Amino acid sequence: MKKMKYILTGILILGCIITQAQTPKGSVLIKNATVLTVTKGTLEETDVLVENGIIKKIGKNLTAPNIEIIEATGKYLMPGIIDAHSHVALDAVNEATAPITSEVRMADVVNPYDIGLYRALAGGVTISHAMHGSANAIGGQNITLKHRYGSGNPEDLYMKEAPRTIKFALGENPTRVHGRGNGIQPRTRMGVEAIIRNGFNEAIQYKKTWGAYENALKQKGANPVPPKYDSRLQTLVDILDGKIIIHCHSYRADEIYALINTCRDFGIKNIVFSHVNEGFKVAPELAEYTMGASVFADWWAYKFEVYYSTAFNAAILMENGVITSINSDSGELIRHLYHEAGKAQRYGELDDEQTLALITINPAKQLGIADKVGSIEEGKQADLVIFEGHPLSVYAIPQMTFVDGVKYFDIDKDPDDMRLKVSASEAIEPIFLKEHNHRCMQDVDFLFNNFGRSLFNHSH
Amino acid sequence: MKNLKYILYAFIFTVIPITVNAQFDGEFVKPRTGKFLLQNGTIVTVTKGTIENGSVLIENGKIIGVGKNLVAAGAEVIDCTDQFIYPGLLDGGSRLGLVEVNSVAETQDFAEIGQVTPNMRALVAINPSSVAIPVTRVSGVTTTLATPSGGLFPGTAALINLNGYTPDQMYAGFEGVVLSFPSSARRSTWDRRSDEDIKKEAEAAQKNLNEIWERAETYYKIQQAKGDLQYYPEMEQLARVIGGELPLLVEVNAATDILSAIEWIKSKNVKAILTGVAEGWRVADKIAEANLAVITGPMLSIPTRQSDRFDASYTNPGKMAKAGVKVVIRSNDAENTRNLPFNAGFAAAYGMGKEEALKAVTINAAEVFGIADKMGSIEEGKDATLLVSTGDPFETRSQIKHVFIEGYRIPMSNRHIKLYQEYLERSPGLEKN
Amino acid sequence: MNIRFNPKVFSSLLSLVLCFSISAFAQSDPKGERRVTGTYALTNATVITSPGKSISGATIIIKNGLIESIGNSIKIPVEAQIIDADSLFIYPGFIDGAGNAGVSKPADPERPANFDPSNPPDEIAGITPWRNVLDHYDSKNNQIHDWRKVGFTISQIIPEGGMLPGKTAIVTYGGKESSNILAQNSSLHARFRSSGGGRGMYPGTQMGMMAKFRDLYKNAELSIRHNTLFASASGVNRPEVNKTLEAFFPVLDKRIPITFEVSNDLEIRRVLNLQKENGFRLILVNVSDVEHVIKEIKEANAQVLLGLKLPNDKTANTKMEDLSDDMKARTQKIKEAYQKVLMQASVLESADIPFGFTTIGSNPSDMNKNIRLMIENGLSEEAALAALTTNTASMLGIQRFAGTIEKGKLANLVIMTGPIFSEEAVIKHVIADGYIFDYESKSKKDNGNGGDSGKAPNIVGVWEYTSDTPAGSSGGIMEIKKEGDGFKGVISYDNPAGSGKASSEMNNITLSGSNLSFTFNVAAGGMALEVSVNGDINTDQFSGNMSLTEYGSFPLNATKKPDQSNL
Repeated sequence: MKKMKYILTGILILGCIITQAQTPKGSVLIKNATVLTVTKGTLEETDVLVENGIIKKIGKNLTAPNIEIIEATGKYLMPGIIDAHSHVALDAVNEATAPITSEVRMADVVNPYDIGLYRALAGGVTISHAMHGSANAIGGQNITLKHRYGSGNPEDLYMKEAPRTIKFALGENPTRVHGRGNGIQPRTRMGVEAIIRNGFNEAIQYKKTWGAYENALKQKGANPVPPKYDSRLQTLVDILDGKIIIHCHSYRADEIYALINTCRDFGIKNIVFSHVNEGFKVAPELAEYTMGASVFADWWAYKFEVYYSTAFNAAILMENGVITSINSDSGELIRHLYHEAGKAQRYGELDDEQTLALITINPAKQLGIADKVGSIEEGKQADLVIFEGHPLSVYAIPQMTFVDGVKYFDIDKDPDDMRLKVSASEAIEPIFLKEHNHRCMQDVDFLFNNFGRSLFNHSH
Repeated sequence: MKNLKYILYAFIFTVIPITVNAQFDGEFVKPRTGKFLLQNGTIVTVTKGTIENGSVLIENGKIIGVGKNLVAAGAEVIDCTDQFIYPGLLDGGSRLGLVEVNSVAETQDFAEIGQVTPNMRALVAINPSSVAIPVTRVSGVTTTLATPSGGLFPGTAALINLNGYTPDQMYAGFEGVVLSFPSSARRSTWDRRSDEDIKKEAEAAQKNLNEIWERAETYYKIQQAKGDLQYYPEMEQLARVIGGELPLLVEVNAATDILSAIEWIKSKNVKAILTGVAEGWRVADKIAEANLAVITGPMLSIPTRQSDRFDASYTNPGKMAKAGVKVVIRSNDAENTRNLPFNAGFAAAYGMGKEEALKAVTINAAEVFGIADKMGSIEEGKDATLLVSTGDPFETRSQIKHVFIEGYRIPMSNRHIKLYQEYLERSPGLEKN
Repeated sequence: MNIRFNPKVFSSLLSLVLCFSISAFAQSDPKGERRVTGTYALTNATVITSPGKSISGATIIIKNGLIESIGNSIKIPVEAQIIDADSLFIYPGFIDGAGNAGVSKPADPERPANFDPSNPPDEIAGITPWRNVLDHYDSKNNQIHDWRKVGFTISQIIPEGGMLPGKTAIVTYGGKESSNILAQNSSLHARFRSSGGGRGMYPGTQMGMMAKFRDLYKNAELSIRHNTLFASASGVNRPEVNKTLEAFFPVLDKRIPITFEVSNDLEIRRVLNLQKENGFRLILVNVSDVEHVIKEIKEANAQVLLGLKLPNDKTANTKMEDLSDDMKARTQKIKEAYQKVLMQASVLESADIPFGFTTIGSNPSDMNKNIRLMIENGLSEEAALAALTTNTASMLGIQRFAGTIEKGKLANLVIMTGPIFSEEAVIKHVIADGYIFDYESKSKKDNGNGGDSGKAPNIVGVWEYTSDTPAGSSGGIMEIKKEGDGFKGVISYDNPAGSGKASSEMNNITLSGSNLSFTFNVAAGGMALEVSVNGDINTDQFSGNMSLTEYGSFPLNATKKPDQSNL
């Protein structure tokens, strides 16, 4: 019985640690690293002082009493990598049942126990944009996560400073799911465009109705009847009001161009295109009218709409002045985004700074958090990665990863098994082989392929 | 209408400057053979060390000279100063050529209907015109094992060079019958079978395999005794394995399954190569003891278990190599088979070392496929299948400058590159005029 | 904090119980089955009147469904049937905080021809909060009998269906002559379950359901505002009657709580978030992983029902010394996870969260064993008894007349041969609503029908099945016929190649004991896939798994349609 009490206390204490009110902030002094600031050049043998989660000072021969010192001579220090398109740590990805589902929130289904978070940290990724899937023309509201792995409370992972974002999707996925799957619009790219326009127009009406009601309430003696509440339309109103950044899954140049036009018609400026395999064909338009493009390094040919792609996409976009980032959309690629970025050097010979920007400051800009993260600058949040070897080398190995100055990954000290939760009822562990890790169409694949259409499909 | 056409032609011919005597714009560069001298590069032979400022002489598809200060009359000289010459890279398992657009069923030629279809030959379904082939070979990956998948015996894999207009021109001299060894593992978190059901089903699958194999052995015996046999193409192909004519490529990944496969191979006394082997590191000593070669990959995949260290898939080939296993690396990809060198790079970084990783995509593969007399290193008398790069070909920073496949100089172009050329500076840009 | 009953409903129900004997005596009973008296005297027993309190050598008099008196020197009325309870232990009847014994799933409504899955009618989407579980309740169902046999005398029954299946009711497990209803519409039930039906319909995921819930709640509030306005002012448009929104009104008024089924700590958090945003009263049903959410549960003042089901100990037979180091570490983690499951009850107790039990998903025959396991893992016996009686009574707002053995309370008693939770103690009688049920110790025989029988189940007939997949649930019909010594059958399912249903022959139909297995082939995207199904039959319920090669395996449950033609 005594032993029981002991274990019980243990379990309760664990619960308590896991659910503390404030997310932890760390202090650390990293000495003598080659600092890849991304925005301010490369600083050799430089120290970075972090206090209470914030980069306090960058310079030589820094000292600070009572702070952990990490010797990084010969190592590289870069900003925490940011993944602008991911589905990590989510219990559900697609509310694939309606062409517009702007009311759903990914924040509701964050799963902080996902081992994918730790694996991302082991690849230097400190922030990911956990997105709704691509089944709907207008999907759900995404959530920007800081990889504070170890907490059981989803809210501890939210990057609360990040602006709201929402998922849109064009092309094959929404037309396949709704048009061909359920026999409702959209079945074509015309339909996708119309669905989005209809949504915005309805939202304008909705806003007007509520505006009229609220005005009437102010009138003395008036008895206005409250209109129906509709969070779907309310969210679209918020997009029109500039409160939400659109991140749109897209592949073909024509569909990208069409949505750019729609947004221009409705005065929407906050839009980022995701994947954008044919973005290179409309690079001048993307540069002029959008917050940029978040692309794959080299994915192509997994479906028809990406057959006419080029791995030189990132380079063409960058050279045309488009804010460009490289995203994972995958529990696998998120583990080595530095390598994915490196491929932009093979395909287009971008220089180191341009290339590193693809996974740091540029995705930060696209998520509206570039004033807080994405580069190593004094005053920014201390999301940092120490690499053995230059991060753009294929031989680079991340050594330690910090979020808010707190170390969440240490290649030498972490135990092998980093799961936070273990099933009591399954002694046979699941084995994951290739192809179980692409998730943009998660929850839909099975739905649509039902009894297993194609075993090898990527389905981003 | 006709008039309009003439006017249009006239317009095109007068206004647009074109190359003399050509009906169309530009010039198509074809692969071409001949006598080539790659001069003054660093030759990484793989088997015979590294030669600084060395040259390689190519003629009739073969390497006819390797060394310093080679001269060759009439050879086309390619200056390789500050560049590196490596043997072409071999991919130990890919669907390249067997599929064009992954989600379009009409272009999927790697999975036939049926559980026992060893007679399905990958070589006959290779599409030499696949757009992905030129996309792949400019990365220095010159040779791939086109592998069918699906059922228990999904078919016969074939090694192909990535140049040629017919499958036979591409064939690189190796075929093997694929066996997807029955698995006792839980397949991802979606698999909600009870532990007991998993065990039961695995036992049933194993029994099924043994029964099929017994039939094949009976077939083989009757065949050898020249007895009366009914047409049975599936058994015909398995009999080739039993007779030692074709090796078995045993696809197996979970640790316990690898052990069962080793036992099974031993008991059936067949020539076999293990493929997949994602959890090989768990039982590396046992694989080495059984003296089985392994084709593993991709390294760029998630660890097989959630409880595994984050780098389990990166370190797997290195751990097996250290235990004494002969390791070959595969991409297990199709359109992105070009990522083979990066997989090798990750293996190298995470414990395998650069030298061993390079072997794993060159000479080891050639040895495992029984073609080391022709491929896998830069040596006199071997096929002239090689690459020239500005640096380590595993590094994304390096540019691959030239690729030769069986003496053919491969054009360094493909659809990806052409799109780059067209769109880097689009005209018109944002505004027309 | 208690449920405020509609007093009218309750008093009429109660008077129904009280008047019973009078109205019944007007009938003759040629079968001779009717009891002669409703008065009982249990003499000389050890009575645990409430957790931690007991009287030894006590007598209890029960009359017409109520405890008339309890004490050491009680006069036994002449009409009393005397039960000698010398050496027996008497406990208050157990109360199930949420159960589904006897509850059936209402038939799915016909889909309209122009059905739009993105905007389905509420009823099809599983949003039927207006439904009364009593309309789909069979008080004579065998499952009730099984639960009573292990001591349950009252249950809050929850409706079957989708995410908002309807309102719960509180019933007793009394005699078959009575309606046995204590309260109806006692809570609004909710769960994260999609009514998908193959292709999925809105809302199909937890995030969709949360969004839908928020919209319903908000619109119910607006609807009340509109109704109030209409009632008090002129020139106001007539409110549209919407029975879904109206069903929320008692929740908005905090007259009734929401009982919300959850399956892990993350779902608990999700429900607590909804609660925080909207402020309804909440009972969490079937909680687990509670150690992570203690603070949050307390802050929300949420009430908690713990499941009676425990997993098997997967590592019990694992020999640690035979394992490699990494397997040893892994096995240790599974052991710890198992231990945590066993300790859920004690974690709640030590965090001072009073909890009750729910029978959902659990098996009556495991109950005693499982509670003993919880006790071995730190739960006090007193808290265990409270979870079975007083805590749940308070939670359901029925503590005034149930949960303890006191004069004036309902005559719900469990009479055991030894102290409860001791391994050798067996239930000898259960008194529910004043009716006595005899359970002879050890022998499985009882005076009801049904229960366990050695006979192989009859699988011939038409089964309706549903299967939960990551994409939502789907379903169809399986029709099994006898053929020679074996069976043949046809199964229908959502056509993977388009809309509508497709069907296949069922192969290898094997019935072994109560285990049924079969396979069928599905053509999808040019490939033939074999699906195998395996599971167990309990009279007309099938519960098992459907296994689908590469995609894994998913739960499949089926119910046999009542035999009409007896093929």
